[in-house]
Amino acid sequence: MSAETEHKHAGPGRYVAVWIALLLFTALTVALGRSHLAGSWGLPVALAIAVVKSTLVVLFFMHLWDHGGANRLVLATALVFVALLIGLVLLDSATRFPLADPPTEATMRLMPPGPGAPPGVEPAAARP
Amino acid sequence: MSPSPASIPPAPADAGAPLYLERNYLNARRGLWSWLTTLDHKRIGVMYLVLTSAALFLGGIFAMLLRIELLTPGPTIMSALAYNRTFTLHGVVMIFLFMIPAIPGIFGNFFLPLMIGARDVAFPRLNLLSVYLYLTGAAIALYGMIHGGADTGWTFYTPYSTTTVTMVWPILLGAFVLGMGSIVTGLNFIVTVHTLRAPGIGFMRMPLFVWALYATSIIQVLATPVLGITLLLVAVENVFGFGIFDPARGGDPVLFQHMFWFYSHPAVYIMILPAMGAITEVLSAFARKNTFGYRAVAFSSLGIAFVGFFTWGHHLFTSGQSTVDAGIFGVLSMFVGIFTAIKIFNWTATLYRGSIAIRTPFIYVIAFLFFLLFGGMTGIALATVALDVHWQDTYFVVAHFHFIMVGGTVAGFLAALTYWWPKMFGKSYSERWGIVGATLIFLGFNFTFIPQFLLGNEGMPRRYYSYPVRFWPLNVASTAGASVLALGFLVVLATLLLSLKYGKPAGPNPWGSRGYEWKTLSPPPEGNFLTQPTYPRMPHDYDDLNPGRGGH
Repeated sequence: MSAETEHKHAGPGRYVAVWIALLLFTALTVALGRSHLAGSWGLPVALAIAVVKSTLVVLFFMHLWDHGGANRLVLATALVFVALLIGLVLLDSATRFPLADPPTEATMRLMPPGPGAPPGVEPAAARP
Repeated sequence: MSPSPASIPPAPADAGAPLYLERNYLNARRGLWSWLTTLDHKRIGVMYLVLTSAALFLGGIFAMLLRIELLTPGPTIMSALAYNRTFTLHGVVMIFLFMIPAIPGIFGNFFLPLMIGARDVAFPRLNLLSVYLYLTGAAIALYGMIHGGADTGWTFYTPYSTTTVTMVWPILLGAFVLGMGSIVTGLNFIVTVHTLRAPGIGFMRMPLFVWALYATSIIQVLATPVLGITLLLVAVENVFGFGIFDPARGGDPVLFQHMFWFYSHPAVYIMILPAMGAITEVLSAFARKNTFGYRAVAFSSLGIAFVGFFTWGHHLFTSGQSTVDAGIFGVLSMFVGIFTAIKIFNWTATLYRGSIAIRTPFIYVIAFLFFLLFGGMTGIALATVALDVHWQDTYFVVAHFHFIMVGGTVAGFLAALTYWWPKMFGKSYSERWGIVGATLIFLGFNFTFIPQFLLGNEGMPRRYYSYPVRFWPLNVASTAGASVLALGFLVVLATLLLSLKYGKPAGPNPWGSRGYEWKTLSPPPEGNFLTQPTYPRMPHDYDDLNPGRGGH
């Protein structure tokens, strides 16, 4: 390894602290998922915790905290593309014509029989 | 006007150089083991040449079987299921085994270090690993093909791909492993470009093929993991029962298409960008003129790579995607046309008042320009939502993407192959037969795919093994064209292979090119250069031949 790329990494204390933080965040995710405390915010909260955890991994285990310049630019670029993928896909499902959404009781009555019926709702053609 | 061969002056540095370097990278070490364990980027390039050419041959056989089946309106030589399997295999082999790895794997590996004055790529062992990942992925996919093959099309759309009884899984797994090889190659090239450029080769003095490879590598590294994630999500859904793509479990099949095309649309640029880079090199060499607009051509590669990530939704116009998204993706898709047009205008300006030498590689350049323009313009039309609704899943789409991917990538591949062949193997091929092969391919390609535009416009859907009688004449024309195209490929293959045995020594720079890769001997020695070259001029600098005609 050349002198230019060789970096002095922090001692084990930092990695143990990050590891414990990751375990705590995992426990928090499981606890929130089981208790339904976050209600309809469950998914955004779980995603936010996941973002914090992956940030910790990238910063410390992957040493981005110690490395600057091009490495951070690469990560930022990757994040832009992740945001792009998630953003445009969510925009699609948020703006679809209602009939293209997962079926509700009202829309199921308009649909032919097939998979995808929510429990307790019979498709129109299956009715007597 | 086309000058005689003698009128191409040799580069000044070639005086006194041997016509054929006896002890070169091909024979410095001997035996199969020396090839299987080689870390030499040039040998790895040659291994990719053999492997991807075999894939091209296999994919071509599938293509001919499809065209023979479509020779008559009813069943001709195969059943409906066999037809579905054949077009799936044709797509899988051509895309994953040939078009994505071919130009970066062969010419990227061989010429990137030569073009930047390096002894090898940054990670030679990773480079060898990429060959073995390719071989492993290909072997897994071939296993699936031999044991029945898949009938889903190369796009593997859910829910059909998760419910069909055919052998989808080995082919998906093969694509996953091939993707890893693609990432490794991309990573290697990015680091090589950043760290191994010789003194005197700044970023703004890199050959334009290197710029194209650099842009391609960024896409490979950023997009390919999404393909892996998508395939893993399909596996997770099937094994653990999570609802991801299956609507019966609350999933969304359109999500699969979003994720699949988030990789696969940029993958089109993985295929075409290196071809564009090779075309730039060949065009400048045979116009004997500086590349017009060096910076514009270089940055348009990055522009295509960037914008290519914003356009995937144009594959989903009729799949249930929201009209809001469809409108956004339609507009964004057209931006690709702007960057492509920048390249085409600059190439045309390079040709303007050039001393054009009509040689085999240059015929592929002209063919490439025609195919890219035709395929690109029909692409703009298809990106218009209201038009796409009518053309979606017809032969119009088939003809469009073959113009880009076969016309563009394969023409770029053949231009690169015939241009760099004398450097790679030190032998000249028969110019006459080279031109015959190129002409057959140009004519055969047009006779194959122009009828398909007309068929699609008349409403013939893709992926059907039978059709109404009114589509018969155009299908016969298309099959006849495909036969000429296949003959052209065989002529090219024979011409090049025969040159290895009977060809005259080519000399270090038979085309009189100013490209940096020609500064070494033919074939290059094991360590690339006997003495480290210097780089006092730009890589496409013909100013002394064209005083006052501009460039850059």
